[in-house]
Amino acid sequence: MPPERLRLRDIRNTSTFRLTALLGLLFAVGVVVLLGLIYVLSVRELDTRTDLVLRQEIARLRQFPPDALPAQMQAEIMRSTHGLNFFLLISARGERRVGNMEPVPVVRLRQDFDIGARPGIHGPLRARAARTMAGETILVARDISTIIDLRRRVLRIVVGSGITIAVSVLAIGVALSLRPLRRVRDMQRASLAIAAGDLAVRMPLAGRGDELDLFAGTVNVMVEEVGRVVAQVKGVTDAIAHDLRTPLTRVRNHLYRALQTPGLDPAVAALAEAATADLGIVLERFAALLRIAELEAGARRSGFGAVDLGMLVDRVRDLYEPLAEERGILLEASVAAPAQTHGDEQLLFEAISNLVDNAIKFSPEGGHVGVRVHHDGGTAVVEVQDNGPGIAVDQRQAVLRRFHRGAGAADIAGAGLGLSVVTAIMHLHNFTLHLDDAAPGLIARLVCNRPGLRAIPE
Amino acid sequence: MARILIIEDDPATAGEIRTELLGHGHDVKHIADGAEALDCATREPFDAITLDRMLPSLDGLSLVARLRERRIAVPVLMISALSDVDERIAGLRAGGDDYLVKPFASVEMAMRIEVLLRRHQEPATEAILRVGLIELDLIRRRLLVDGEPVRLLHMEFRLLEFLARHHGEVMSRQIIFEQVWGYYFDPGANLINVHIARLRKKIDRPGRPSAIATIKGEGYRLDAA
Repeated sequence: MPPERLRLRDIRNTSTFRLTALLGLLFAVGVVVLLGLIYVLSVRELDTRTDLVLRQEIARLRQFPPDALPAQMQAEIMRSTHGLNFFLLISARGERRVGNMEPVPVVRLRQDFDIGARPGIHGPLRARAARTMAGETILVARDISTIIDLRRRVLRIVVGSGITIAVSVLAIGVALSLRPLRRVRDMQRASLAIAAGDLAVRMPLAGRGDELDLFAGTVNVMVEEVGRVVAQVKGVTDAIAHDLRTPLTRVRNHLYRALQTPGLDPAVAALAEAATADLGIVLERFAALLRIAELEAGARRSGFGAVDLGMLVDRVRDLYEPLAEERGILLEASVAAPAQTHGDEQLLFEAISNLVDNAIKFSPEGGHVGVRVHHDGGTAVVEVQDNGPGIAVDQRQAVLRRFHRGAGAADIAGAGLGLSVVTAIMHLHNFTLHLDDAAPGLIARLVCNRPGLRAIPE
Repeated sequence: MARILIIEDDPATAGEIRTELLGHGHDVKHIADGAEALDCATREPFDAITLDRMLPSLDGLSLVARLRERRIAVPVLMISALSDVDERIAGLRAGGDDYLVKPFASVEMAMRIEVLLRRHQEPATEAILRVGLIELDLIRRRLLVDGEPVRLLHMEFRLLEFLARHHGEVMSRQIIFEQVWGYYFDPGANLINVHIARLRKKIDRPGRPSAIATIKGEGYRLDAA
């Protein structure tokens, strides 16, 4: 059964979520690439413009004669916007002649370079230096705080947009996935109920005519048809019950009355007794077949309730102990982990009884049959183990079919219907039956798959 | 001799039941229609009723429910072709005392009628059951055989108690399994046989015939002698 609450993993696995996430991812990548491109081009353009301004300024200042240069630079300083442009004239001996900035330790000639910010004086600078004919050095710098700030803002916008788009896409993906997922869950529940034999259940339709509705409609038509066929088969089964079992039972009743006749010839009586016994076998097999058909139809639900598997196993042990003892077989029951399951006590008792009956039949004299209840990863398991010949791997599925008797069963009484009854009971409960090698012998595991299973507190 | 009403619309089945019950010395009356049978069962006293589930004019479930509404406590054996346990439960819930699935062995039907008659005539209020050498103390859950205490396991005690309550009557393996163990499937003849054999070992005395007689093809009977 699907879990009641939707998990993130379930949403993540939906096609809607994946498609939304994929499209959203592509969109986010596109937006980020576009903004990134704008960012790179803008930064490059601003840097280029700054560098060009610096180069032009240097070129212009170099045109002035050496003796006019200090006055010219002083005039430039006075004219320029305060805090934006910086000038410095350094003599050939390295002394500061004119300028509105402090000398820098390293000056690179004929190339643009950056000067770090000096708090309270200037921000980060982009600078360029050149040597005059007189051996003096002209340094022109421009405050690029605004450009750097702009760069940071653009970068924040790119990253922020990417994250916002990604989060939005995930949220939209989840929102878009929830409704279809809920519908799929409803359909899953319906299909499990149908698979369990409730052919009156139909897949839910939203009435939108979308692909899920189309699928559900197709399945509903199929279930309708299966239901019709099953009803027909059930009708045939009922007909067999009436048409064959009833006259055969009457024959047995007539024979029984004939046997009560006083002075009956002993030879005739022996024949009548043999015929009665044979009829009994035929009727028993008819009854078993009809019972399997009934169980496979999955119609029986009113007997379902809480079943204590440990108690059930103890009762089966009590029922079969004398039979085992008569054959010199040790029958033991152990409850490693008390477990309760939801099921039909009558049917589960019958299933475990069938397995124990088989185990006793196939165990050698002086053998051992163990019945155990334990937990395997939170699921209750009832194991019936014998030390008989076991069942070959290639025969383990076949023995679950009606009338199939495994190799070595020829000398053992039975019709090959017991395990079919167990399988039908397991199917009705949504439990599974596993047959494994006990080396030596067979181990039959009845696994109670239902999620409603819980351990009984000690 | 008991007076038994057969409510069955199938003449062949009704004939089977009638023959078998007459053979057991009972007085029988047969009615095929549900509504008519309800009137009859309301007017006349009967010791037991065999009731088919599918009847014309009034079905078996409604019929037994109306009988109970009218406070008529006559034991009812419901007989039906519907073998599912759900149907059995529905029949018993409606007020039936036992349920038999068609087709059935006539002798099995007669045994079930005997069980119902005995249960109805002698409510289980006695503290001690005595059958021949056997004395079962139902309060202390103790058994004395010829005055000597014998230890019985829980299910052995229930098996002997059931046979003792119906001593002198043949009980089929199926009836024993249903009434003693409370399960409704066929566990195979051999299983009940070994339980009976084990019980015999504990209650039989050397030199005396077994207290539990085997009736070939029918079942077991606890005898007083």
